[in-house]
Amino acid sequence: MNIVVLVLLVLVVLALLAVMSRNRLVRLNISVDEAFAQIEVQLKRRSDLIPNLVETVKGYTNHEASTLEAVVAARAKATAATSVADVAAADGSVTQALRGLLAVTENYPDLKASANFLALQEELSTTENKVSFARQFYNDNVRSLNQAIKTFPSSLFVNSAKVSARPFYEVEDPQDRKAPTVKF
Amino acid sequence: MATAARNFDFRKLQAGNRRKSGELLFGMGIIVGAVVWALMTYFGKGGIAIVPVAIGVALISVWGSYWASDKIVLTMTGAKLLDENKNRQLYDLVSEVCVAAGLPLPKIAIVEDDAPNAFATGRDPEHAVIAFTTGILRLMDREELQGVAAHEMSHVANRDTLVSAIAATTAGALAILTDFLMRIMIFGGGERRDDRDNQNPIALIGSIVVLILAPIAAMLLRLAISRKREALADLTAVQFTRNPAGLRRALEALQADTTVVQQRSTSVAHIWIESPLDNSATSKLFSTHPPLSERIATLKAMEGLS
Repeated sequence: MNIVVLVLLVLVVLALLAVMSRNRLVRLNISVDEAFAQIEVQLKRRSDLIPNLVETVKGYTNHEASTLEAVVAARAKATAATSVADVAAADGSVTQALRGLLAVTENYPDLKASANFLALQEELSTTENKVSFARQFYNDNVRSLNQAIKTFPSSLFVNSAKVSARPFYEVEDPQDRKAPTVKF
Repeated sequence: MATAARNFDFRKLQAGNRRKSGELLFGMGIIVGAVVWALMTYFGKGGIAIVPVAIGVALISVWGSYWASDKIVLTMTGAKLLDENKNRQLYDLVSEVCVAAGLPLPKIAIVEDDAPNAFATGRDPEHAVIAFTTGILRLMDREELQGVAAHEMSHVANRDTLVSAIAATTAGALAILTDFLMRIMIFGGGERRDDRDNQNPIALIGSIVVLILAPIAAMLLRLAISRKREALADLTAVQFTRNPAGLRRALEALQADTTVVQQRSTSVAHIWIESPLDNSATSKLFSTHPPLSERIATLKAMEGLS
């Protein structure tokens, strides 16, 4: 009699553990989706800032048409992207084009002093920070999910939870490669 | 901003810290157990009845201040909610940290006070408040303030209001229990003497020692938990911003600054980023925060500067 109770107890505990690890996988998978949606929200916000920025810069500069066009073109391409890799690639080129534009504005003291541009600059830098934090949050979530998929016991429930390893959000940024190596 | 540092081991440090604060909470449980044992040794099984009463009283007194912590602390410190158009930059950098933390935007408040300091409270992320003094806004640049905001959002993310409410409840219940028992031991309990005639005298002396030491031990554990949670908030802040330098420079600025928050009420001392009480007079054992120099050293190690 006692042995039966004991076996039943062990079975109940095992079943609980199984449900918990499966739920954990489902939860992590949802967090990854939410984190990716957050990236898209922030990219959209940045994209909405661009026309205003381009207009402001145009008003103060004469021969920067190519830099401005690069920003507008990168923005147009970014709106079409859907997959993680495409969004990340488009994101990278917008970041780069914007950086080029901001570098050019250094040559126009009038522009840099204008109240409109200063407000835009704060908004642009906070949005840029949010984009980069959203990427980081997404990658952290992907990391947790991929780790759970590979490790026991959650690895047993990958099929039943219908989850699979997700790609990291990697932005091609030439400045990253130039970054000095950090010693630890 | 995030590229320079990818590999520092804040995850390992966080896991270690979480384990230690768990152990400290467990230690409080052991003290409760010891007091219950002392109670049973001294009064027999009938003494148990008072335990739920003490826990109930402590729960009632702590729970209200936990549940309404956002409103109570705002009133106590005189903090005013931020007008987002008036201080765009602060609003922006707090919302950046929220994106990094994956948390909803808290209420942001400002305390009129020349001393640089900041705090966070609220029972859960949906009711969180983080506040900055006007002094800290004057003293620090954007990156430093971001480090401070990340430290405060870490308290929200780590549910530190709940942790300290649990610690306060346990310490409060122990204080009530031991106070009550000591009174009975000294002033009354004469008619119960028969129960104890055949008791082991060593157990009786042991139970008295437990009753004397328990409230002190509980207070020290509560402070140790507070220090652990502060250190954890620094680590979680680095997880959010991946920029230990910002918070490190902010703490250095706090260290260099000598003005002290005017409100020195001990009841809200633990919630500020830097302890508003005079640290130099008290030893580390009795303070709510780890020493600034220690926190700065940890952050420097993460920057690879040590």
